[in-house]
Amino acid sequence: MGVVFEDDVSGAWNEMFSAPGQPRPIYERLLADLNAYQPQELRLRSEQLAHTFIDRGVTFAHSGEERPFPLDLVPRILGALEWDRLSRGIAQRVRALEAFLADIYGEGRIFDEGLMPRRVVTSSPHFNRAAFGITPPNGVRITVAGIDLIRDEHGNFCVLEDNVRIPSGVSYVIENRRAMTQAFSALFSDHRVHPVDSYPSRLFAALLAAAPAKAQDPVIVVLSPGVFNAAYFEHVLLARMMGVELVEGRDLVCRSNHVYMRTTNGERAVHVIYRRVDDDWIDPLQFRPDTVIGVAGLVNAARAGNVVISNGIGNGVADDKLVYTFVPEFIRFYLGEKPLLDNIETHRLEDDEARAEVLGHLERYVVKPVDGSGGKGIVIGPQATKTELKALAKEVASAPRNFIAQRPVALSTHPTFVDESIVPRHIDLRPFAVNNGEEVWVLPGGLTRVALGAGELIVNSSRGGGSKDTWVLNDESIPFRGAVPPASARSRRYSGPPRQNDEYIFEQGEQ
Amino acid sequence: MSERLGLSIRHHTGFTYDGLAKASYNEARMTPRSLSTQSVQTSKILVRPVIPVSTHVDYFGTVVTVFDIQENHPQLEVEATSQVESWAATLESPLGWSELRSERLTDRFSEFLLPTHRTTLVGTVEKEIEDWQNVADVHQCVEAASEYVRNEIAYVPGATTVSATAQEAWDRRKGVCQDITHVTIGLLRAMGIPARYVSGYLYPASEPTVGDVVEGQSHAWVEYFSGSWTGIDPTNGVRETERHIIVGHGRDYDDVAPLKGIYQGPASTQLGVVVEIRRTH
Repeated sequence: MGVVFEDDVSGAWNEMFSAPGQPRPIYERLLADLNAYQPQELRLRSEQLAHTFIDRGVTFAHSGEERPFPLDLVPRILGALEWDRLSRGIAQRVRALEAFLADIYGEGRIFDEGLMPRRVVTSSPHFNRAAFGITPPNGVRITVAGIDLIRDEHGNFCVLEDNVRIPSGVSYVIENRRAMTQAFSALFSDHRVHPVDSYPSRLFAALLAAAPAKAQDPVIVVLSPGVFNAAYFEHVLLARMMGVELVEGRDLVCRSNHVYMRTTNGERAVHVIYRRVDDDWIDPLQFRPDTVIGVAGLVNAARAGNVVISNGIGNGVADDKLVYTFVPEFIRFYLGEKPLLDNIETHRLEDDEARAEVLGHLERYVVKPVDGSGGKGIVIGPQATKTELKALAKEVASAPRNFIAQRPVALSTHPTFVDESIVPRHIDLRPFAVNNGEEVWVLPGGLTRVALGAGELIVNSSRGGGSKDTWVLNDESIPFRGAVPPASARSRRYSGPPRQNDEYIFEQGEQ
Repeated sequence: MSERLGLSIRHHTGFTYDGLAKASYNEARMTPRSLSTQSVQTSKILVRPVIPVSTHVDYFGTVVTVFDIQENHPQLEVEATSQVESWAATLESPLGWSELRSERLTDRFSEFLLPTHRTTLVGTVEKEIEDWQNVADVHQCVEAASEYVRNEIAYVPGATTVSATAQEAWDRRKGVCQDITHVTIGLLRAMGIPARYVSGYLYPASEPTVGDVVEGQSHAWVEYFSGSWTGIDPTNGVRETERHIIVGHGRDYDDVAPLKGIYQGPASTQLGVVVEIRRTH
């Protein structure tokens, strides 16, 4: 007996099925492969995945407890053509955000042209004036970007938010793949999946390219806040895979605008710092003076051109969700291109008309703090109580700059293994882009996050989400040569108890 | 045309430590720049212990001198000297209120219209603002606000600390030039007049004599936008004169603190700030 796929009644786009029982062509083979497993067997494999993660320390801190980041055993598949379009759209977005950051920490042409009010930038708490006048040697402020995408009800990918400060999660992409290839090696022999293990070497090359020109043999380090940081595992993994030192603030010292690393063999000059410490905590001379994880003098060392801080200081202004609403303008203005990826329709609440409309119908909108990450502070109107909406209305009215409103989008769903059955759950996608100054490379796939609660729309790990291995197929036209049962035969087994004809026998196709 | 003053300025400040300090990282904003009301002929900064320094111009256009001292040191001294020629600005006729409140200008000067934690004032002052806004001439309105603050807040050295906010000074009705400036900026911004903090020096003698060295002041005052940036000194109840030497601008004191730093070591005491100004011509 095969696996039972629960019917999707959410009205959202189902990634695997175009209609109940109608798998999309790129999923046909996976479906066939999964059908070869008994539910009990899947449970065992699922446990195996969790154990692999605990053994390897792939955990995150949740309410003070280290937990494995749940990896769902049903992978998410993206076709080669679709990926090509997505990755070009992501790269375009990163190029536009680079141009925007260079502009606002420089001339401010976009304000002079009247394309964006200056106050959007000057009122952002992440517009760090201390970054003014820091010119990255190869022009790159966004070495790594995480551009969050969702697929709407019509199957269109839209950008949910841009993360160009210190986007995290790429270690899960690498570890998910590692665990999946161990637990489900057969699936990989049936699919030509783009590998993801070149990420660390791509990142290393980009960091090397970012080094000051005068550095002969540039030394790169990963700067971590330390073992108590939720993403510490990722810092360790990236440093190890790149073959560079993992350091903390106390390991570095600035002298006369040069940065040195304290080692057992004395001090060693450092030229590029891939930092995983927020602006606020990175340099007590410029930002919070009480930081114990920063390095005093770092910002002025970067200004002097002796070290490169990557990602750049002050990038957070580009993550501001009010700034997000202008990104399509950036693409047209700075690049002279047409945006390849759409934003979600968003209302700017400082606009009187928009605010009146949104405040009048809060129950119809998703309201987000411009500054939030990890799903923090998001109110989903249709799901909120009257009391919540009332409190929200008050907050928005008193500080409209701090919020945006969007139409609720039913994130696409993907069959997901929960409690021994396969049920539709909402997902998003965080692809990772690496900019080496010459080109923006996008890691094939990215991190698919899944909200494990039924109907839950917020996918973040801090909200109990999990993730999926995300496959980009090498070749769009993978011929499925197995005996595909007629759609009608498969379609019936969406809900309710499995019936006799639930078993399919697929022949092994040729690759 | 007003008088041109030639001034030689020496500004000395620093810290002494209850023991030895090390790993000291600092930024000094103590160097005047050439502007529309002053021309800087020479300027230099000397740090003791002697170490190399680097300079850059910050977001607000202020010259910043950066230095760090790794070795143990009992005291840090910074001395800025400059030779400046200064003259008073001519008062331009101001923009009308509607122009001042146009989208174009409110956006251009957004960061000088938004309150900062230093300039925020709540309650009591709102009624005053209402009255002044009926004054058609922006210059007169600013003068009225400035005069009001000068009358309300007594100039009492030591009444507040360097970290005081406008609200604290207002509540006590006491403060120094920094506080009076913050309160005035808070009022002007509340009325929709872009206002910025000016850090600089004041040559105190009203009858300056060439050659005499007089004790000057590290001073703070206000510039507001009325078509062009216009200076007013609410502490002394005068407009910006040729006796005001500008070092830097910012949203509030924190953007232009003359010397800010961080170090490892025991508690510190600020050395008295000495400003000596000699009229050269």
